[in-house]
Amino acid sequence: MNTNDLISSLGAELTPLQPGLLTKGVLVGLGIGLATTTLIFAVFWGIRPDIGAILHDPALFAKSALSLLLGCLALPWVLSQARPGSRTIFRFAILCVPALALLAAVAALFTTPSQGWIMNLQGKSIATCLTSIPVLSAPILVALLLTLRRGAPSNPMRCGAVAGLLAGGCSAAVYSLYCVEDSPLFYGTWYTLALLIVAVTGAVAGRHVLRW
Amino acid sequence: MGRTRDERWADLLRRANGGDRTSYIQFLSEVAPVLRGIILARCGNHSDESEDILQTTLIAVHEKRHTWRDTEPVSAWVYAIARYKAIDALRKYGRTRMAPLGEHEDNIADDTIIDPTVTGDLDRLLAQLDTVPAAIVREVKLNGLSAEEAGQLFGMTAGAIRVTLHRAMARLSTLAQQKSGNAMGDRKIRK
Repeated sequence: MNTNDLISSLGAELTPLQPGLLTKGVLVGLGIGLATTTLIFAVFWGIRPDIGAILHDPALFAKSALSLLLGCLALPWVLSQARPGSRTIFRFAILCVPALALLAAVAALFTTPSQGWIMNLQGKSIATCLTSIPVLSAPILVALLLTLRRGAPSNPMRCGAVAGLLAGGCSAAVYSLYCVEDSPLFYGTWYTLALLIVAVTGAVAGRHVLRW
Repeated sequence: MGRTRDERWADLLRRANGGDRTSYIQFLSEVAPVLRGIILARCGNHSDESEDILQTTLIAVHEKRHTWRDTEPVSAWVYAIARYKAIDALRKYGRTRMAPLGEHEDNIADDTIIDPTVTGDLDRLLAQLDTVPAAIVREVKLNGLSAEEAGQLFGMTAGAIRVTLHRAMARLSTLAQQKSGNAMGDRKIRK
């Protein structure tokens, strides 16, 4: 087939675009995923009884806030990933999350006696944390990947990984309302590992699902 | 005047996204030769492959035109699409290690072929397509209908027929390479 013919066929196919097709779609997907996650969380996990303490203790507050911040910064990044040739500063801005988590962990080293370090790091719920965050992230990640198929990521694997960070950040923020491990040594380590698991899952899935 | 090429493209594509067909065709016609150059450079001057990649790229530009944000440079956007499609296509060609696509497309598209084994091959290949694209290939390539006539038959625009046909042919070429790569090679040598 002649390329000029193809061009006129495509011209004949043209319909006006609805604005915000990609962004709106991804936001709706995120909303549905987050609602599903919250529902599952409410049924099977539930909020810790002493939730009021979160507002008074900065280390506790940071556990939820940093997770949420990660999600908020990953959203514009993933949207830009879904557009060919698009760049955004959010891929650098997101580095402030691990930096702040590291800061919180270092601060914890100073405020807790050294005999307590290992105990704080180990906590009592490593396995719960490492399974809950990925499980709770699944509805969000699935919804994101499905809606991101409308996009055209020039690197499907990376786009999937960022979608994983977004899903993981949201699910960690939700899970943090249940989790009673309050040392930054704990969540700085195990939340990070859980998030990486979700990001890798997203990358592997994205490689297959987000090709176009 | 004094506008850059990118500003002109942005202007055309913005109007196209509003539904202006003339601007859209103008945009694609201006973009195509530039992309052809990029793709040729990428796949080492195999012009058969590169024309096919160009067409795939143009279809991708069409299908993904909503991913361009009108505040961002158009050229970076179309180049990224061309790069993605070129890499994708070269990976496929690399995997099958076969002759350029164009020849196979001619083989399959040749409606004078009467060799029963070949039509048998074609039937088997067509069976792997969806019903409508397969029927369109039959009507246009084998029964010689024009895109307009086929359009009336299938209740689609002629443009939609051409796009579907192009995709179906590309898919058939891939299938032909995967399935009967060796057999086809033999036949060509005997010719």
